Amino acid sequence: QQVAFAGLRADTAAAVEVSADSLTVNQADGTAVFTGNVVISQGDMRLKAATVEVEYGADRTRIARLHASGGVMLASATEAAEAREAVYEVTSGQLVMTGDVLMTQGENVMSGQKLAVDLKTGTGQMDGRVRTILQPGAN
Amino acid sequence: CGFTPAYGPAGGGRVLLGGVAPDAPESRDDFALVRRLSERLGPVETPRFRLAYKVSTDVLGQAITPENATTRYSLTGLVDYTLHDGGSDAVLLTGRVTSFTSWSATGSTVATQAAEDDAHERLMRMLADQIVTRLLAQAGSLPQ
Amino acid sequence: QEAAAPASAQAPAPVVEPVDNAATLLADRILLTGSDQLIAEGAVEVYYRSNRLSATRLTYDRKTDTLSIEGPIKLIEPGQTGSVILAEQAELSRDLQDGILIGARMVMARELQLAAAKIERRDGRYTELDHVTASSCVVCITDPVPLWEIRAKKITHDAETRQLLFEGAQFRAMGVPLAYLPHLRMPDPTVERMSGFLRPEVRTTSSLGTGIKLPYFLALGPSRDLTLTPYVSTSRTRTLEGRYRQAFDAGALEIAGAFSRDDIRPGETRGYLFADGSFALADEFKLGLQIRTTSDDSYLLNYDVTDEDRLWSGVTLERVRAEELIWARIGNTHSIREGESNSTEPMLAGDARWVRVIRPAGLGGEATVEASLSSARRASDATTDGADFDTISDGRDRTRLTLKTDWRRNYLLSGGIIAATEAALAFDAVHVNQDPAYGSTMTRALPSAGLELRWPWVQTSGRAAHVIEPVAQIVWSRGSLKPFPDEDSWLTEFDEGNLFSMTRFPGEDARERGLRANLGLSWTRHDASGWSLGVTAGRVVRAEDLGQFSAGSGLSGELSDWLLATHLTTEAGLILSNRMLFDSGFDISRGELRMGYGAARGTVAAGYLWMEANAAEGRAVATSELLFESDWRLAEGWSGSFDARYDFTANRATKAALGLQYATECLAVDLSLSRRFTSSSSVKPETGIGLSVELIGFGASAANNVARRSCGG
Repeated sequence: QQVAFAGLRADTAAAVEVSADSLTVNQADGTAVFTGNVVISQGDMRLKAATVEVEYGADRTRIARLHASGGVMLASATEAAEAREAVYEVTSGQLVMTGDVLMTQGENVMSGQKLAVDLKTGTGQMDGRVRTILQPGAN
Repeated sequence: CGFTPAYGPAGGGRVLLGGVAPDAPESRDDFALVRRLSERLGPVETPRFRLAYKVSTDVLGQAITPENATTRYSLTGLVDYTLHDGGSDAVLLTGRVTSFTSWSATGSTVATQAAEDDAHERLMRMLADQIVTRLLAQAGSLPQ
Repeated sequence: QEAAAPASAQAPAPVVEPVDNAATLLADRILLTGSDQLIAEGAVEVYYRSNRLSATRLTYDRKTDTLSIEGPIKLIEPGQTGSVILAEQAELSRDLQDGILIGARMVMARELQLAAAKIERRDGRYTELDHVTASSCVVCITDPVPLWEIRAKKITHDAETRQLLFEGAQFRAMGVPLAYLPHLRMPDPTVERMSGFLRPEVRTTSSLGTGIKLPYFLALGPSRDLTLTPYVSTSRTRTLEGRYRQAFDAGALEIAGAFSRDDIRPGETRGYLFADGSFALADEFKLGLQIRTTSDDSYLLNYDVTDEDRLWSGVTLERVRAEELIWARIGNTHSIREGESNSTEPMLAGDARWVRVIRPAGLGGEATVEASLSSARRASDATTDGADFDTISDGRDRTRLTLKTDWRRNYLLSGGIIAATEAALAFDAVHVNQDPAYGSTMTRALPSAGLELRWPWVQTSGRAAHVIEPVAQIVWSRGSLKPFPDEDSWLTEFDEGNLFSMTRFPGEDARERGLRANLGLSWTRHDASGWSLGVTAGRVVRAEDLGQFSAGSGLSGELSDWLLATHLTTEAGLILSNRMLFDSGFDISRGELRMGYGAARGTVAAGYLWMEANAAEGRAVATSELLFESDWRLAEGWSGSFDARYDFTANRATKAALGLQYATECLAVDLSLSRRFTSSSSVKPETGIGLSVELIGFGASAANNVARRSCGG
């Protein structure tokens, strides 16, 4: 059954793996910057970007926050989205994508400037001259 | 004082003689107009120009007697014409000529009908003559 | 309540070409609820097949496929005939075609405004408005009461039949209820052709009192229609007028008629029947048909049908090509003119002409060969002249065959003189009966020859082009010609059209004879700015006066009258023409002045006509008539017209008419006042007053000079 109108959904508790061409670490503020074909995966969600800046939590073991830029592609089982930049607060499950956002969900396509979504519930909001096509219902 | 014979060497009118091909007539008025143009400018030898024209006439009852009989009709005529280059069909000259004539309706119905037909023919001769005069006046600007 | 001015067109966002049944949604914000509902907020716009809806908030429920919309809502249907709907709240289908709008106002075809508590749209076709007010008048806060409005419990608009069905309708003018109509059916503003009542007209005339005309138009398919107009006047007349029109693939037919019983001729059924048809036949032939019949001599004037007093019924056939003209006409005329007899004058007549243009080899130039047949028949069989106004045997009939050829060739001489040689030969044969003054069959021939010299001079320096053209034409025809019974050549004219022609008789029964010189000079000034002035003077000099032309025609005697014609046209739209025939003593035998002026503000056509008495042409007294016709845009929405004719010989007006029209965007009022002074044994002078009122907004209206009133104006 066609999933209803929803933003992206992901298993925000799953482990986050990161692969990239290169990594530079900044011990002082505990941040690391992955550059070159960066791929971040969590559960069945994939996030690709040119560069991703990662902030670790206080115990330096779990990733608290990701900041992807230089063109971001994000895909989950049923949805996909792309934008110029994205910020993913892993702890709260809040994802904010900005800059020519394009979200597709089955036949539904939605474009705008800013997408804020709670990955846990899939609810959220698209802003900035949003455009979409109202397809006839799947019934 | 600047006058020169229109068909003379400096007049430019010579290029019109035998050179103007009017569009095919579609009504009796058109036929009379084309006949007069052919009389004045000679039948077409080399179609250097094409003359497109649109004739329209209007009748007005006049001389209404106390017994309400209309005993005279006046016929107003108007022709909008454009002269085109025979080869490229580019528009060279445009103009409008108007005139009027009349016929009496005091005689019998047969005499009145003949007078009406003759009035149409006379009006078309006048309008054709005015077109020729206008073309002669502007002949100097035509490609010789 | 602000007037629903037509929706101002914000620049719509570039719309990607929507999939045919998909609707495009634009908004500042879309909330993703994770459910079957999508919520859009902020400058929401929905596009569906160029229908456009704008609102502040919208929720789309995918399960029910409906949009619930919060206002202010504006729904705009495409094109000039589409409607604009404004509402506060609405529940609509995704394709915007069905659903309910609350607190809505609808403007149909940018013209008819409908304000309703609720508008419901069903099946993309019906629009039902509840507790609705309909008006096409501008309604402003300053004066909220429209000129007219129709309040109704319910109005149903059917987009397919384009009709508005009013239920429980109440017509109000200036807020005052005037009429209550349980059911009323009206066309919507996009309709041009639909069966129904047309504009009623009140008509008051001195002979028929005050009456009302209520036309009913019946559209019988796309190419046929019938209009029936009952005209009833208090005990003075009961008349039914009808007009039937039919368009064929290659022609058209219109039949108009009427039946009346009135107290002008009590106990009689009076009426008229007119028909006009024109058909394109094979091989470029055109057939024309005309019927004009009436029950009695005064009916057409009593009912203001036409001023025509010679009713011709017959058939015409015509084909025109560059090199050939074929033309024929046969018919009968019934005259209702005072003192004209239908039996002692030629009423049954037939004419046919075949003209061929050829270029004779060797001779050069161009020639026309013409064969013509003309037959005129008088109903009476008497062989002597009775009491009618002519001196012709009352029963004379004649049929004449003519074969003629006319050759002309131009030569350009040195010095710019253009010469034209012309030769003509005409054979006539006639069969006459019931007129002992002529043989029963006669033939004759007349050769003619002519030489025309033209020497046009031009001057084109400076602002204007001048043309001066002296013309001299010498024409010889044999002096003697067997006289034929003359039916078609009585009424001669003398103007620039026949100053240089080989014969100045209008028909073929008479031909111009003898040696004569046609002399003329014309001067034309054509200004670059567009105005032009032309003057032509001419005279005919005859070697010998053969008494061919009547005294008042201007062509009689050895020296004809002087012909002087002036034509002035200005680019501002003024046309001034004058033509005079006067003898050397400046006694004018014919004088005609025509003035025409056309501009955006109005048009004027005026004229003065003077003609000397001429018994030979049936003109017992001189004609001296002034003519004035004008119509004006007085102010925005107001236009007036004034026509008058004054007969100086009879020293009184012949006709006068005054018209006043006021048209606003929702009402057109037409008032006309006319007086005809002429009278005859069958018709008395008559005054007529006409008033008609039309509600604009129902059916396409053609009013052009309309006052676009606006609020706070």
